[in-house]
Amino acid sequence: MSTPAKFIIQPRGSPPSRRGRLLPWALVAPTVLFVVAMTVFPLGYSMWTSLQEYPLGQPPAFVGLRNYQKLIHDVNFRSSLATTLLFTISATGVEFVLGLGLALLLKGEFSFQGIIRSSLMIPMVIAPVVVGIIWRLLYNADVGLFSFAVQELTGKSLSVLSSSMLALPALILVDVWEWTPFMFLLLLAGIQSLPQEPFEAARVDGASTWDIFRHLTMPMLRPVIVVALLIRSLDAFTVFDQVFVLTQGGPGTATEVATLMIYKSAFRFSQFGYAAAMAISLLILVMFFSAAVTRALRGSG
Amino acid sequence: MKPRQMIRRQFLKDSLGVAAAAAVQSLSSCGGKRDSNPRRQITFGSYADPALDILKEVFLPEFERTIGIHTEWVEADFSSWLQKGLNDGQTKAGAFDIYVMDDLWVPRFAGAGYLANLDELGFQTDLDLVPSAIALGYWPPKTGLRQPGIGSNARSILYSLPLISDVQLLFYRNDVYRHGPPATWDEILRVARQKSDPARHQYGWVTRGVKGNPIVNSFFVFLHSLGGDIFGENWKVIFNSPRGVEALEFFLSLVAYAPPGVAEFDSDQEGATLLQGNAFAATMWTGWCPQTDDPTKSRVVGKINFDVPPKKVNQVAKLGLFMAGIAASAPHKTEALEFLKWFSSSATQIRFARSGGTPFRTSAFKDDEARKKSRWLDATLRALTIGVPSPRTSDWSKVEDILGTELNRALLERGRAKEHLDSAALETSAFLKSAGYPVG
Repeated sequence: MSTPAKFIIQPRGSPPSRRGRLLPWALVAPTVLFVVAMTVFPLGYSMWTSLQEYPLGQPPAFVGLRNYQKLIHDVNFRSSLATTLLFTISATGVEFVLGLGLALLLKGEFSFQGIIRSSLMIPMVIAPVVVGIIWRLLYNADVGLFSFAVQELTGKSLSVLSSSMLALPALILVDVWEWTPFMFLLLLAGIQSLPQEPFEAARVDGASTWDIFRHLTMPMLRPVIVVALLIRSLDAFTVFDQVFVLTQGGPGTATEVATLMIYKSAFRFSQFGYAAAMAISLLILVMFFSAAVTRALRGSG
Repeated sequence: MKPRQMIRRQFLKDSLGVAAAAAVQSLSSCGGKRDSNPRRQITFGSYADPALDILKEVFLPEFERTIGIHTEWVEADFSSWLQKGLNDGQTKAGAFDIYVMDDLWVPRFAGAGYLANLDELGFQTDLDLVPSAIALGYWPPKTGLRQPGIGSNARSILYSLPLISDVQLLFYRNDVYRHGPPATWDEILRVARQKSDPARHQYGWVTRGVKGNPIVNSFFVFLHSLGGDIFGENWKVIFNSPRGVEALEFFLSLVAYAPPGVAEFDSDQEGATLLQGNAFAATMWTGWCPQTDDPTKSRVVGKINFDVPPKKVNQVAKLGLFMAGIAASAPHKTEALEFLKWFSSSATQIRFARSGGTPFRTSAFKDDEARKKSRWLDATLRALTIGVPSPRTSDWSKVEDILGTELNRALLERGRAKEHLDSAALETSAFLKSAGYPVG
């Protein structure tokens, strides 16, 4: 029964046959081709596009780094990056705190846990555009719930989405409502997978709940926290649907995030080269951001 | 050993065979589909809009029955369709025969060579077509400024036809304006001051305030009404002229009597406010007219009348027609042209108007039966006659975005009109300069 193995694994020291040398390449080739087709090619094409200009009715013209030079001086793009960063940090931070709190609260066995946990998932499974429409109604200045509540309390109407001060927090609240369940789900799975022995030992040694949380739960949960924060922050960095439906980047440019600016440049103004340059710049920033988050969290451990 | 090796080899062979067979089948179906189907048909690409319902539900089936050409209607939301249409034009994919376009898009599609020349295809215009409507189908424009790179002696070519006439009308409550339509903007402001009652959700005016296209369209009428314009000679930005500033200040004075949160209103909220009976007047697109008399959508049935927008210095209306052009890469150009000829014929246009559609032929506007059915037709024809389109340039969307952002800021602050218009003018001039415009 051991005979077939000699056709696959060459005896040590003897040179592999031609077929043996090609086999590993053949096995990884489909995956490599898939990755090239789905990731490397579009990325390369976007980079190439960012070096071109698309004059109306004429073939694209190579302009080198001109789009990037223009980008450096574009105040609106810098402002949109700042808005995106503020949105990402705020939304992800609040979602993490709430998600962790919920996960700690609901980690044990309790009545109706299936129903409660399932209902917490609802916001996450609604299409982002639908979420936008629901919240647009809630924020409506004339008939919306928020305006109604404020009017009842203060006698004044509240126009959330037409306030430069409130529009971005309003968008952050929508994101928190929609994506806290995701954070909760990941952290709950992480907490439930932790070994119980260290916790039992700590309790026997008389450690308080806070000490257990601080010195056991958080350090042991760190790999899951890194993943959860990375996934959510990368997603928040590319937020589009809610902004598009709720504010279109307004009032003024108070909620103009980078993705919306890229979208408008490409598909409303037909500045495909410039939009591609913005997209590539955003990609580089996101990579730096995620590397920094990972390093900071790992380093703190 | 031997049997296992055989099985693996056989498996690889079989897999390769299946993959090859699948590839051959899919390739053969790709290439053969069009040739093997001799049925005459046209594919429309369009954005979704209720104003197109009568065309889709009544007139396309009638066209199929009478002319014998099958039609397919593919639609998406406004922005997605623009993207799809431009992609189709750029790649010459030929997925669509007729592009349905906002009139703003004609410079982009025609200027980029994505539309077929209707003159060459043999379409004949005539004097019954409303001049301001048919003018929007030409590129370069017959009158006015021309984009850089287009000579002043370049011939204007017909690239598209109107599909639905859409123009901004004054919608006003006849139980508030009992003595007929307000003749001036000052009258609207006076009535708004006197009768607005926010505690009862009664507002003298409602408008679109969202940044970009919506607020620019709302402001446009005021700007032109006070004698201002967007561009002057050689694309010089003049919307921040004293007349422009006065127009914005007047616009803001009216907004003081609009519902709270108007800075976030798009046409859906503007229309809903009026149809719920919460506003006395608004300038809205013709497409909203039928809904005012529909008891399932309006709480003020019979209480809303229509007229051309009132006067300040000039009397103008903003044009915003639905246009249709044949794709340069259309696989069924002959059939598409047959549709355009059929739909723009006087007989079809009259039937279209009688069914509640907004035509683009004078004879259809003047048809008694149609006027009885759609009481806004008279005002619509008058508005078309004094209608002004958006500047005819493929870069208008960018200018609209810049101006719309500052107008929205002015609306939020309810003031600093000059500063905001100056800021928009500065940014617009810089953009136009970078895009090769002479800018004055």
